[in-house]
Amino acid sequence: MKLKNVRTDKSRLALPAGLLVFLLFLLAGLGPQAFSQTASDTQANTRPGARKVVIDPGHGGIEIGAKGKFGNVEKDITLAIALKLKAMIEKSMAFQVVLTRDKDIDVPVENRSATANNVKADVFISIHTNGSRQKTAEGSETFFLSVGATPDEETRRLAYLENNSSRIEDHVDKTSEDDVKMILWDMAQAAYIRQSSQLAEMIQSELNTLLGTRNRGIKQAPFKVLTGVACPAVLIEAAFISNPDEEKKLASDGFQTSVAEAIYRGLMKYLQLYQ
Amino acid sequence: MANGLPKKNQGKPALILGGLLVLLVILAIVFFTGGEREKVRRLAAVSVPKPQPPAVKSEEKRTVTLFFLSDDDDMLHRESREITAGPSAAEEAERALAELIKGSSKDLISPLPPETRVRQVFVTKDGVAYVDFGREIMEKFSYGSSSELAAVYAVVDTLAFNFKTIKKVSILIEGTERETLGGHVDLTQPFFPDYSIVAK
Repeated sequence: MKLKNVRTDKSRLALPAGLLVFLLFLLAGLGPQAFSQTASDTQANTRPGARKVVIDPGHGGIEIGAKGKFGNVEKDITLAIALKLKAMIEKSMAFQVVLTRDKDIDVPVENRSATANNVKADVFISIHTNGSRQKTAEGSETFFLSVGATPDEETRRLAYLENNSSRIEDHVDKTSEDDVKMILWDMAQAAYIRQSSQLAEMIQSELNTLLGTRNRGIKQAPFKVLTGVACPAVLIEAAFISNPDEEKKLASDGFQTSVAEAIYRGLMKYLQLYQ
Repeated sequence: MANGLPKKNQGKPALILGGLLVLLVILAIVFFTGGEREKVRRLAAVSVPKPQPPAVKSEEKRTVTLFFLSDDDDMLHRESREITAGPSAAEEAERALAELIKGSSKDLISPLPPETRVRQVFVTKDGVAYVDFGREIMEKFSYGSSSELAAVYAVVDTLAFNFKTIKKVSILIEGTERETLGGHVDLTQPFFPDYSIVAK
């Protein structure tokens, strides 16, 4: 009788216990991967004589992004542009292109920057179409990460503690002091931000030429997808899907090709700077 | 003999193992699901306890400046509004945000969905205001970069501009930290106000 009870208890436990063991395995499996990026990255990131370009089509899956009056959604247009850009780069250059998604699926923001870091990207380009509450808002702009977002020591320390782990291990020896790590990370970030602004400027200038959309310039913003990327990174907002006129343009194949072409030309010019 | 003893007791280790597993599963469940409430409680503890409203309602007013969008440009525009004053900055901040959500009395555009709900505002001693929104702020609008930046900075600027004790603003959704409202602006770090996007 007693034995029977034990048995039923055991079988009832089998599922949660199995799940637990599975979770433990999962964690164990993730561990080494997450920390496998080592200091070998250090040489690659300062000299963008790029070998790998990571293209990030904004949004995807249930996360549709901004929405237009005629029913077009940001996620579809960003993917279309990204696929065109990938084809252009691969056709003419010896660069490897990695997409953060190549179909209509959900990709968490942190996985997008993780993709860039995992493949040791030399350049990260996130493609978006803008959305505003003002129907008249129009034009294209290119963003890079703002440093001014967290100016004081305490916040930076907090940011460091929250984000520590893999990307800092990329650049510094694990045994060094936290303060040294933070200074090095800051220096690396400052270098990326300078390069990011150059890249942004070159892409923006091509967008102005090729699209004929209003020049909204290059700007800095605390965009999540750019915060974790350990290489020069920009986020392009090509026209406003919330503006009916621009939505029509964005939905057309010709305009999408022009956006891809503009990004491609800007990227080429940027890469020439560092060759 | 040496062989027999462990065999006899085989049921016991299994039982203990089973018990430990149950405990682990329960702990895991508590760990993964209990977090939200814990955070709210912890954060709530930081806020100033609400004193009883005074028996005589003097209804003191104060003027606050709200920030809205305009159809004319991409800047934030000021609009004055009267709210009931006191007793704490956190409570005044809640009222100011309620007015911001209500929308402009001129023809300015509200940067927040009208369904937006403020669950609570608490201000820490070192000047960080935690604004805890209901999920509506995320779900009732499909944000682009511009509208997301406008939503965040209308809230941040409104709080930092009107309340001396608020230096930075952290945005929570349903009591927890979220990455973004709609895939753009990083919510995991507190915001300093940005008045460069405010029209002169």
